[in-house]
Amino acid sequence: MAHAPAHVDPNADPVYFQYEDIDQQQETYIVGMWAFLVTEVMFFGALFLTYALYRWKYQGDFYHFHEQLSWKLGGINTTILLLSSLTAALAVHFAQKKKTKWQVGMLVLTILCAFGFLGVKTVEYGAKFEHHLFPNKSFVYGEAAHEAFEKEFGSHKPGTFTQIVEKLDGPEKHQEGNPARARLFFSMYFAMTGLHGVHVVVGIILFTALIYLIVRKAPTITDYIPTEMVCLYWHFVDLVWIFLYPLYYLIPK
Amino acid sequence: MSATAIPATQHHGEKKTYLTADHTIKSWLLTTDHKRIAVLYLISISIFFFAGSLAAGLIRYELTSPRGHLLSSEAYNKTFSAHGIIMIFFFLIPSIPATLGNFLIPLMIGARDLAFPRLNLLSWYLYSIAGVIALLAMAMGGVDAGWTFYTPLSSLYSNTQITLTLLAAFIAGFSSITTGVNFIATIHKMRAPGMTWFKLPLFVWAHYATSIIIILGTPVVAITLVLVIFERAFQIGIFSPELGGDPVLFQHLFWFYSHPAVYIMVLPGMGVISELISCFSRRPVFGYQFVAYSSMAIALLGFFVWGHHMFLSSQSTLLGVVFSFLSFVLAIPSAVKIFNWATTMYKGSIHFRTPMIYALAFMGLFVIGGLTGLYLAAIGTDVHLTGTYFIVAHFHYVMVGGAVTAFLGGVHFWWPKMFGRMYNEFLGKMSAIIIFVGFNLTFFPQFILGYLGMPRRYHLYYFAPEWQIYHVLSTAGSTVLGVGFLLPAFYLTYSLFKGPKAPKNPWGAKGLEWEETDPVPITENFDHKIVVTKPAYDYDAEEDSKLYEPEHKEEPALTGGKH
Amino acid sequence: MADATHSAHHGHHITPQRTLFATGFALLVLMVLTIGAANYMPEPLKHNSVFMNLLAIGIALLKAYLVVSIFMGVKYASKLTKLFAIGGFVWFLTMFATMIDYISRPYEPVPGWEKGNSTALPRNEKAPE
Repeated sequence: MAHAPAHVDPNADPVYFQYEDIDQQQETYIVGMWAFLVTEVMFFGALFLTYALYRWKYQGDFYHFHEQLSWKLGGINTTILLLSSLTAALAVHFAQKKKTKWQVGMLVLTILCAFGFLGVKTVEYGAKFEHHLFPNKSFVYGEAAHEAFEKEFGSHKPGTFTQIVEKLDGPEKHQEGNPARARLFFSMYFAMTGLHGVHVVVGIILFTALIYLIVRKAPTITDYIPTEMVCLYWHFVDLVWIFLYPLYYLIPK
Repeated sequence: MSATAIPATQHHGEKKTYLTADHTIKSWLLTTDHKRIAVLYLISISIFFFAGSLAAGLIRYELTSPRGHLLSSEAYNKTFSAHGIIMIFFFLIPSIPATLGNFLIPLMIGARDLAFPRLNLLSWYLYSIAGVIALLAMAMGGVDAGWTFYTPLSSLYSNTQITLTLLAAFIAGFSSITTGVNFIATIHKMRAPGMTWFKLPLFVWAHYATSIIIILGTPVVAITLVLVIFERAFQIGIFSPELGGDPVLFQHLFWFYSHPAVYIMVLPGMGVISELISCFSRRPVFGYQFVAYSSMAIALLGFFVWGHHMFLSSQSTLLGVVFSFLSFVLAIPSAVKIFNWATTMYKGSIHFRTPMIYALAFMGLFVIGGLTGLYLAAIGTDVHLTGTYFIVAHFHYVMVGGAVTAFLGGVHFWWPKMFGRMYNEFLGKMSAIIIFVGFNLTFFPQFILGYLGMPRRYHLYYFAPEWQIYHVLSTAGSTVLGVGFLLPAFYLTYSLFKGPKAPKNPWGAKGLEWEETDPVPITENFDHKIVVTKPAYDYDAEEDSKLYEPEHKEEPALTGGKH
Repeated sequence: MADATHSAHHGHHITPQRTLFATGFALLVLMVLTIGAANYMPEPLKHNSVFMNLLAIGIALLKAYLVVSIFMGVKYASKLTKLFAIGGFVWFLTMFATMIDYISRPYEPVPGWEKGNSTALPRNEKAPE
């Protein structure tokens, strides 16, 4: 905050010219935001449908594949995201009560949670990469395939991320289930959690921008509505994870 | 009709319009004015329309001979793919919503602009970036998977620029999503006082329905295209049978969007036609509420018929029967519209001006396109007709005969509004008639071809040389059609510079956009507060209709006509 | 009108902190429940995959309902917002009509997709001799 914010004029009219008054502007923002959220639902919806189809078709195999994922790490991430959703909701609450310090504090907490989520995700993804479970050319699944792989490339020691996961979740589990279907499962896992991760990153950017504007007292921050919009988006990100968690980490036999 | 109440006191001297307010390139490229963005879109989609038409011309020329005489099989595949991709993603989908819709929705509902002007500009940039990427992909070798990108051809076998093209379609999808979100927020919240839902012009209703389809459908195809890109890059297996995936799932997801996308293309056209028919018949649209609801019914029901594209794709027959039934049901709201337009004209005072001729052409062609659709919706006949020229003819009747005709009709109708100039009426009528004749000559023989068994996407038919006569007829028709499309390009461009100045309301039309604004509005849409009291289409057939007539009919282009 | 305060007729709802914390707590409890159910369900039910799947999805739906209605404020929001929220979810479900295709394929089987005994013959295949 060293230099004067020349481009942010606190006296500028907060109502854009196309609106009659602030109420109309805010209501329009909310409608626009919800319309956008509907597109997001459909965006993830196609992936959930794809997941449902293959889960239905390969239920037994999916059970075995899911044992490669750590439900404890997933649980930690769920807790983090649920808490961040709470702080986001509190941020809106304080914004409505015009307690700006508390509002910013809650937003900062939310960002911290988001980074925590990404941190855990990095460990998880890292361990998958080290196990050759990312669906690229070096994808290997199943005992036989691993033996063949080690014969050709030499055995690999567990990497840093694997060690972290093993500390929490015990030693690596046997890779059971039909190896011919494993690639499908892990592709879906990476596609869906990856897309979700991208949304988390976007959320961090949005929250950072929001805090910046609030601290600068930008005219666009008229009241709680900008906070509410970003938080709606964040709750949606949380919502997706609420479904992803049981679908990937808690598959019954 | 003398101009009323154009004070705009802050403007001295010659009044500036939105077109002339600022001349710099920057002012155009960074504009957030919905009218300017509409003009930007109009220019860009025209470029793509002519690019797509060139590909169509190549296809038609190739097919005049049973053994082909110009293109290799690979080149032919790339040509029809280019035609489909350009025409669907870069012309038809944005055509009416992004130009006429963008320009007119705020004017029709009495708003100063769309709800999110910067989002609107972003939409144009996304569209342009996507267009450039698509053209780049075509320059780098093209695509041969058709506009449908069916897996596993697109995911496993094709070695052409699929990834780039999919990326382009993905970005174009976001361009239309931003437009859709913008329209929905605008129509919900930006209406002028007194402008209730049932006073909205049907054009606005149609765009609302279209926007609903866009926000519900487009994200599905967007993520599906991303999955195909991943499939190509990582072999993720979702659409690969050897990894346990199912290529037919792609068709499900693709058509979940792409069937409703047909209504994204044709619903705005129906909105345009409602305006034209009622204006040039001088009667309110018959059964206004039915037409409004039928737009919504088409939008929502349109999501439950996607399987009729997949009768022969290993989709279960049970589901096929359901989809077949629902497709027949979907014919009802479309028929409601046609009946209501016909009834609107009954006992009206009909003026055969250029836009009206386009509207009548739309009705004729859309009826043929829609009814032949029923042949294809019936599973039994579809087994025979699917993948033949019958399909090609059917959807061209709906897409070109429907959407393009409505687009041209709309452009002619609102041309004086958009640019403040009149075009040559005689040439306008000629172009509408030439397009109607040329269109039928091009595509009617294709129904017969398809019935005889000519498969689509083939460029060799030496095994059935008796089909050549139909292909030659069709190519001859496409030449006429080409003339019909070129003609407006010339006289409309000419009118921009030399056309007579348009009066405020050359067609004596009703609606805020005609009655409450200047011929070419200044940057602000309205110079006074709008309060709506009249219902939509407040026409009276008995009323002495005031239509624009050029003063000197000998040299209509050179004199400034005033009423 | 155009100031930062709100006109009376659009008075917005401020969700009390108590409700927010209670919701957050409920969400965490539900998460623990779903984890517990997945790992420590007693024997006969544990291998009933229909029950287990329904339970997991049911808990997830409950959590989703809490987030949407309280955190996102749909419970207190305008009818239009409710329409968007419900409409989005319903339309998401319509996509699952696709599953009817795969589930009903055994009635007219396609090789490789049979999930049960079917009396019909596979397409394009003759009866085994």
